[in-house]
Amino acid sequence: MTQSTKSLDKLILTLEERVKELNCLYEVEEVLHDPDKDLQEILNQIVNLIPPAFQHADACKAKIVYRDEEYTSEGFQESPWCLSVDITIQERTIGWIQVCYASEQQESEEGPFLTEERKLLESIATRLGQHLLFLKLKQVFNKWETAKKSISQAKSGEWQVILELLRRTDPDLFIRISRKMLNLLIWKGVEEAEELLQQFNPYARYNEDEVLGESNMPLEKLVFGDINVLSMKIFDVAREHFSDADILTRIQKWMQEDKTSFLVRATANFDTSLDEIYEALRRYYQINPIGMELAPSVKIGVRASLIRRIFTDQLQFIDIAKQYIRVADFYELMKRMIFPTGSHGKLGGKSAGVFLAYRILRASEHFHDTFRNVKTPKTWYLTSDAMILFMHYNNMEEIMEQKYKNIDDVRREYPHVVQLFKNSHFPAEIIKGLSVALDDLGDNPIIVRSSSLLEDRIGSAFSGKYKSLFVANQGSKTERLEALMDAIAEVYASTIAPDPIQYRAERGLLDFHEEMGIMIQSVVGQKIGPYFLPAFAGVAFSNNEFRWSPRIKREDGLIRLVPGLGTRAVDRLSDDYPLLLAPGQPGLRANVSPDEIMRYSPHKIDVVNLNTRRFETMNISDLLHEVGNRYPLIEKLTSIVGHNHFRQPGFNTNFTEADLVFTFEGLLRQTDFIKQIYLIIRELQNKMATPVDIEFAHDGRNLYLLQCRPQSYSKSDIPAAIPANLPKERLLFTANRYISNGLIKDIQYIVYISPDQYTAIDNLDDLRMIGRIVGQLNKKLPKRKFILMGPGRWGSRGDIKLGVNVTYSDINNTGALIEIARKKGNYVPDLSFGTHFFQDLVEASIKYLPLYPDENSVSFNDSFFEQTPNLLNKWLPEYARFNKVVHLIDVSTVSNGLLFHILMNGEENRAVGLLAPADSELLSGEPDKKSSSTLTSEPWQWRMQMAEKIAAQLDADRFQVKEFYVTGSTRKAKAGNGSDIDLLIVLKGRGEKKEALQIWLEGWSLALDEINYLRTGFKSGGLLDVHFITEEELAVSAEARQIMSQLKTDRISPLTLGTAN
Amino acid sequence: MAEKSFNAFEMAQTQFDKVADMIGLDRASRDLLRFPLREFHFSIPVHMDDGTTKVFRGFRCQHNDARGPAKGGIRFHPQETIDTVRALSMWMTWKTAVADLPLGGGKGGVICDPHNLSMREQEQICRGWVRQVYKNIGPYSDVPAPDVMTNGQHMIWMLDEYEVITGQKQPGLITGKPVGLGGSLGRTEATGFGVVYTLREALKHLNINPEETTAGVQGFGNVAQYAIRKYTELGGKVLCVSCWDQKDQTSYTYTKGQGIDLDELLKITDRFGGIDKAQAKKLGYEVLDGNDWIEQDVDILIPAAIENQITADTVDKIGARVKIIVEGANGPTTPEADAVIQQRGIFLIPDFLANAGGVTCSYFEQVQSNMNYYWTKKEVLEKLDQKMTSAFWDVANLARNRNLYMRDAAYVIAIERVAQASKDRGWI
Repeated sequence: MTQSTKSLDKLILTLEERVKELNCLYEVEEVLHDPDKDLQEILNQIVNLIPPAFQHADACKAKIVYRDEEYTSEGFQESPWCLSVDITIQERTIGWIQVCYASEQQESEEGPFLTEERKLLESIATRLGQHLLFLKLKQVFNKWETAKKSISQAKSGEWQVILELLRRTDPDLFIRISRKMLNLLIWKGVEEAEELLQQFNPYARYNEDEVLGESNMPLEKLVFGDINVLSMKIFDVAREHFSDADILTRIQKWMQEDKTSFLVRATANFDTSLDEIYEALRRYYQINPIGMELAPSVKIGVRASLIRRIFTDQLQFIDIAKQYIRVADFYELMKRMIFPTGSHGKLGGKSAGVFLAYRILRASEHFHDTFRNVKTPKTWYLTSDAMILFMHYNNMEEIMEQKYKNIDDVRREYPHVVQLFKNSHFPAEIIKGLSVALDDLGDNPIIVRSSSLLEDRIGSAFSGKYKSLFVANQGSKTERLEALMDAIAEVYASTIAPDPIQYRAERGLLDFHEEMGIMIQSVVGQKIGPYFLPAFAGVAFSNNEFRWSPRIKREDGLIRLVPGLGTRAVDRLSDDYPLLLAPGQPGLRANVSPDEIMRYSPHKIDVVNLNTRRFETMNISDLLHEVGNRYPLIEKLTSIVGHNHFRQPGFNTNFTEADLVFTFEGLLRQTDFIKQIYLIIRELQNKMATPVDIEFAHDGRNLYLLQCRPQSYSKSDIPAAIPANLPKERLLFTANRYISNGLIKDIQYIVYISPDQYTAIDNLDDLRMIGRIVGQLNKKLPKRKFILMGPGRWGSRGDIKLGVNVTYSDINNTGALIEIARKKGNYVPDLSFGTHFFQDLVEASIKYLPLYPDENSVSFNDSFFEQTPNLLNKWLPEYARFNKVVHLIDVSTVSNGLLFHILMNGEENRAVGLLAPADSELLSGEPDKKSSSTLTSEPWQWRMQMAEKIAAQLDADRFQVKEFYVTGSTRKAKAGNGSDIDLLIVLKGRGEKKEALQIWLEGWSLALDEINYLRTGFKSGGLLDVHFITEEELAVSAEARQIMSQLKTDRISPLTLGTAN
Repeated sequence: MAEKSFNAFEMAQTQFDKVADMIGLDRASRDLLRFPLREFHFSIPVHMDDGTTKVFRGFRCQHNDARGPAKGGIRFHPQETIDTVRALSMWMTWKTAVADLPLGGGKGGVICDPHNLSMREQEQICRGWVRQVYKNIGPYSDVPAPDVMTNGQHMIWMLDEYEVITGQKQPGLITGKPVGLGGSLGRTEATGFGVVYTLREALKHLNINPEETTAGVQGFGNVAQYAIRKYTELGGKVLCVSCWDQKDQTSYTYTKGQGIDLDELLKITDRFGGIDKAQAKKLGYEVLDGNDWIEQDVDILIPAAIENQITADTVDKIGARVKIIVEGANGPTTPEADAVIQQRGIFLIPDFLANAGGVTCSYFEQVQSNMNYYWTKKEVLEKLDQKMTSAFWDVANLARNRNLYMRDAAYVIAIERVAQASKDRGWI
């Protein structure tokens, strides 16, 4: 036998021993977990399980002693070769286990025993101890339960017993309950109770004046007296006013409430971290998942606190959400939340919106029928402070200041910032959380959505400002985790992308500390071949701002529907069209003839390609050619085209070859989808007390709600605030029928087709010519800086005397399309509502407005449109003969520099067209927005930088400049885009070089004005406003000295001056 | 002011008067043909989806049925006027006559905007229309068809209502039905092929070998595509096509060396006849301005897109080599341009002769429906060829014999045929 085989044998032997020991432990556990066995049985079994685990099993016997009872294995007898371990409960020995060899055995590590064998015995003893404790507690608990039962069944008068019990066992609870009873008595207006209250602190009885009066001093706090004695008195008083049964019920209720008070405390306290809240929730549900209800008022309070802590501070939201989001929902939610230790973060508006929306639908009467297949996708959440942690972890704090930089710098640096974020690392605890999330989500594609805290703020819907990224989520776990983190980093980076920064700057939200939560949402859809996509998806608005027929009302809503991923419905597209529907009027379609339907149907589709792991846009025809019949719900989503006629696909249809158009006809006719969406947006609008927009997707079976928020308006769809008392002479028209939202500012040119003159044209060619002129002007006039106003129906094809014969390409640069319906005899002609190119207008955000000038309640300034100088001859001399029909009005030249603006407010169903200065206060747009629109880094910042540059480059010696100050709005940080830069320059001596300096500064002034114009569109003819003071003046003029001393009071210090190079 | 404004009916009458003067038409014939024979005005009450009832105004105008049942479309138009319907019905009379079809001219409509109506409401309008006028229309008296904002679906509703009322299957009542429900094969090809049938005969007429000719085509829609197919079969070469680019909101002309390849282009063309510019470049096509099609050095121009393309401004750009213009589109040439074309001696095949393939195929649909026996596509197209060929020669011979401009000759022949039929019947 060699040395090596010997040691190998030993190794095997050792291993065998370990296996025996482990088996023993397992078997012990099994016995302990059998609920049918009583203690005796358990101990009897265990004592027989021990010997086989020992080295010399045949000679080994065991004994367990517990509470004077002995349990032994067969043939046990004491011997000198014994090993003994105590069984303890809460550090008290209550018995022991003993193992003995009947005969002497070979000497081992600890006598005949192995060290591991002793450890085994210790393990068994510990487990037994725990089990015995458990049994004991269970007994106590059962007793308590019985006691509780008997309390609740206690007869009148028995409350004293309970109270006495409480006083002895839980004095704190006793005091709290006494106090509650006192409160109740005072509440009921019992006089003795007030006296008792005084006894708590005889000095301080508040008189009414103090409580209700105007005193600004805090009231003195009352100190409790010996409440133990007092509480007896309290209950004496109580007995006089309430029945015994009443008192008993109340005491029971308060005791119950008290048991859950830790939850109330944890949620109400702003210092508790999310971990602690989660712990409290867990505890609450563990001690009593059902039955131990919070009192209704407490429940609402806890809900409100949880909403505040996890979602938002916004009172309006809390007020609604607390009615629908249950405490249990938070318990479930927090299981899917990833947050740093000690987190105080929130989830942000997007998460809150969809979470609430689903709960509202769940509470709806339709939940079990119409909403039966409405769901939300599986989602994980990353709290907002995870982003801060991420940035600290990577030492990127200074990046947060990026937002204060000049917008051009932000734009230039952004690509680098993105790379920086993507190459940074996540803290380990976040990675761990994400890893768990991925295990839960599986390899279903996911979308990483931003959920900004800023989104909560009313009036600042960051719709689509921050990124949402699709992750294919394929490959190994490591690859998937990498891809997910990469996406999150990129979404983080988008907080300082130029567009959101500019948007925030414009709304004065720059200083708001942006934190962003992240939603990691499972993408809704099915795998079809290498692609992953939902059957269809879209967005729905509870207010319809794009009405193509006067029969459609605002509240009929709007759906934008696309096949595949919803990205194409969310964004306005330039080369493709979603299906538009008004769910309240599903029969009225924007497109009617087969040609229109085909032209304005979706031709492309967004999918996740699982092979390339990329988000891709495909031609629908290519996709169908590839996957054909496997496309979910295909037979309901498409129609077959044949000879300018649509047919519904049938059983026989081969979808890979048929000529298909996505009309969604089957979906709309044969399913209750439209009804679902309509009820959903109605329900949400009613319950959230605001118009909403939702995003949804359908995987072929279920309809998933992906997003819900107060209806946001893209910049162009905000209801314009129409000021009262507009000056009459500035109003060119007003309107009050079929108005949508919008603000069209700074219109320079109006192209006005005179309705009378147009009707008077008596030959077809001339009528057609008008269309051609409009087309020419559309090409020549500055894009979106002109509007088209004409009679009747723009784009009329057949009978072109009904409206100017144009195609979309003839009008695609206009800022607005206005149709004028002039009364003819008794009847007012129908307008087209832009139907001839409705979807083109929608996708390009070109506003449509109908005018009915002959109605009594509106005004229309005929003479302005008909009689102001017409520039047609100048712009298109070849068409000069039509200058009676086509009027081209240069607004600023006929109105002393004013521009034309159209304010449209769909909510009030009112619109006005008025002349006003470019940055007029009247055009505030959003009600909550300041009038001066700031475009980049604050205008004053830029001005200050420029002033510093001037000072630095100014040759002080050459121009004999002593001091150089910036004053006025720039100094006060109030400068707007139209402000100039006020400079005060103190010259040495008598200021002989003043003229030379003026010339030097004039160059700056003009150059800066030009730069400002390019940046903001404001032009003033010179941006510097310079005042000079000479030393000589300072010596003689009190006024000059006054100016200088004012500078000192305002703590304005001079800028550093340059010198000759 | 309203009296002065443009009026389609007055324009149609003026046009008629001009031709009547030319052929010295008698007073009675003029009085008869200047106005429709019959007009029906009626109300169509419809219960709307929202529970209200709305009353729509409907028309049917039968301008002349001396040569056979009146034929013409039904328009849904928000500001339809009876004058427009009158003008269009008169035009239908000339159109069927020039193609020498045994039909008259009619037109109808309803004042409504389908954009404001659900499908159910439109169905009610269609059925209501038939209920009001079923006594005055029929497979052997007046045969409606789709027109502005109406399509096959509307025709089926109307036919169904008519059949319910009469208790008989009468698919010949209406045309424009889908294939399988009484529609005719060959309709897709009819207009485009018809254009080239007349072109082929014109080349014979001018003694030109088609294989030695080249053509420029404006448009790449249905008509243009089938015209190109047929013309290429004759051996001609299409040097350029122009089409609308939806993305760029402008039109482009595509050329390729010794001629375009239709099948190659169709692969990169959407269903609206828009050619994918980027792909066309890849295939070696040169992309020119959309108006350049007219300047190409070709023998034949086929404007097959929209109206008003050959105008006073553009007519001078027509190349010296051009010998024939075939009007595939409706009204592509303005009167000013007509004068120049006539003076330059370019042979013109006027629109209502060149694109009569469409109406001829409608006539075939009616015939097949009345027999309840449907031809193969080949049969339809063969018969179409015969009809178009003979219609062309009638006009061409008249133009040569009387030294008339082709457009005038077409009008003359149409009006004279209708006047003659009215006389033969002893009406005048």
